Amino acid sequence: MIKPLRLLFLGLFGAAAVHIAIVFLLPAYSERDAWSELASKGGLYTTVRLGQGSAEGVLGEKDNPFFERAACRFDLADGMARVTSSETVPFWSFSIYDREGFNVFNVSDRSASDGKLDALIVTPAQLLELRKGMPEALQTSLIAETELEEGMIVVRSFLPDESWRGIVDRFFARMRCEAY
Amino acid sequence: MLKTALLVSFVLIVALGGGAGSVWLALESTRTIGSVEIGPWVAFPKLGTHEADPYSRARSARTGGLSLGQAEGIVLVAGTDSMGRPLRRECSYRIEGDLPPARFFTLHATDEARRFLKAPARFSSARHSQNLLWRPAQPLRITVSPQSHPENWIATTGRGPMHLSLTLVDTPISTGARVGETIMPMIKRIGCDD
Repeated sequence: MIKPLRLLFLGLFGAAAVHIAIVFLLPAYSERDAWSELASKGGLYTTVRLGQGSAEGVLGEKDNPFFERAACRFDLADGMARVTSSETVPFWSFSIYDREGFNVFNVSDRSASDGKLDALIVTPAQLLELRKGMPEALQTSLIAETELEEGMIVVRSFLPDESWRGIVDRFFARMRCEAY
Repeated sequence: MLKTALLVSFVLIVALGGGAGSVWLALESTRTIGSVEIGPWVAFPKLGTHEADPYSRARSARTGGLSLGQAEGIVLVAGTDSMGRPLRRECSYRIEGDLPPARFFTLHATDEARRFLKAPARFSSARHSQNLLWRPAQPLRITVSPQSHPENWIATTGRGPMHLSLTLVDTPISTGARVGETIMPMIKRIGCDD
């Protein structure tokens, strides 16, 4: 009587171990890697429209029919990264993700001084340097401080209906992602 | 000898099957660890951040995607109506009630894998707060149905399970700790096609 019970207990103990192992190993073995997908689409500081015909996998998916998205990768070892667009849209927001796809910084256009997309991504050391003398061109920029070296930024824009498509497309066409 | 082999394989089957099955269950069900439930609506406020628990991390690794930041908004997904019955594409539902404050919101129907369900022809299976019809002093009222409905209608088609995905943009509830105390609209089933 004891033996089958002990075997079942052993099996359940193993099940718990397998459960924990799978939960912790899933992120490491996942093939849905936004960073490498983005890397295959273009180099650093290349703006890639997401959710469009050209993008597949994670990047090709549309999570919301009313949002248009574009992404670019940056490397703060080269200096600060700046993202701007001269077009104004009803709503924009952006998130900064690390290489693993974790959201580390996010902000919406409510935080911008004049509603325009103009953001500077800096490391704490670069921010310290910047504080000594803010260049005139960056006076109105949104400053995103991050501990990251490499990362990606995803800019989202609201598309209320098709009549806005021209403006939203222009917003992304004029979006510049560059080392500063 | 054979008996030992049988016993070992029994233990292995229980361990592997039970372990993998329980992970699958934990990740597939919409209500699990790390979620906040408001009626039928489920949100994962920490999804995709470094504060997320291991289950949320595993879930985002499986579903992939780059999650919305807390300053951008929050996504609430309903897989059942307010009575707890699973949502189905062949049924009609009325979403009614008050929403938490937000700059605007979007609502659309998705399949189980969170893929957007397209409406037939020129109908729309997605709505946002600025293209809804609002009556003075009345809360939100949207009908989700395969049949046409006056006023606010989200068109569905086909058969099978369905989820409703509500995105609140620029809302204080995504950053606050008291997400669970928010009022969310009810989802009432009003009938099903046979």
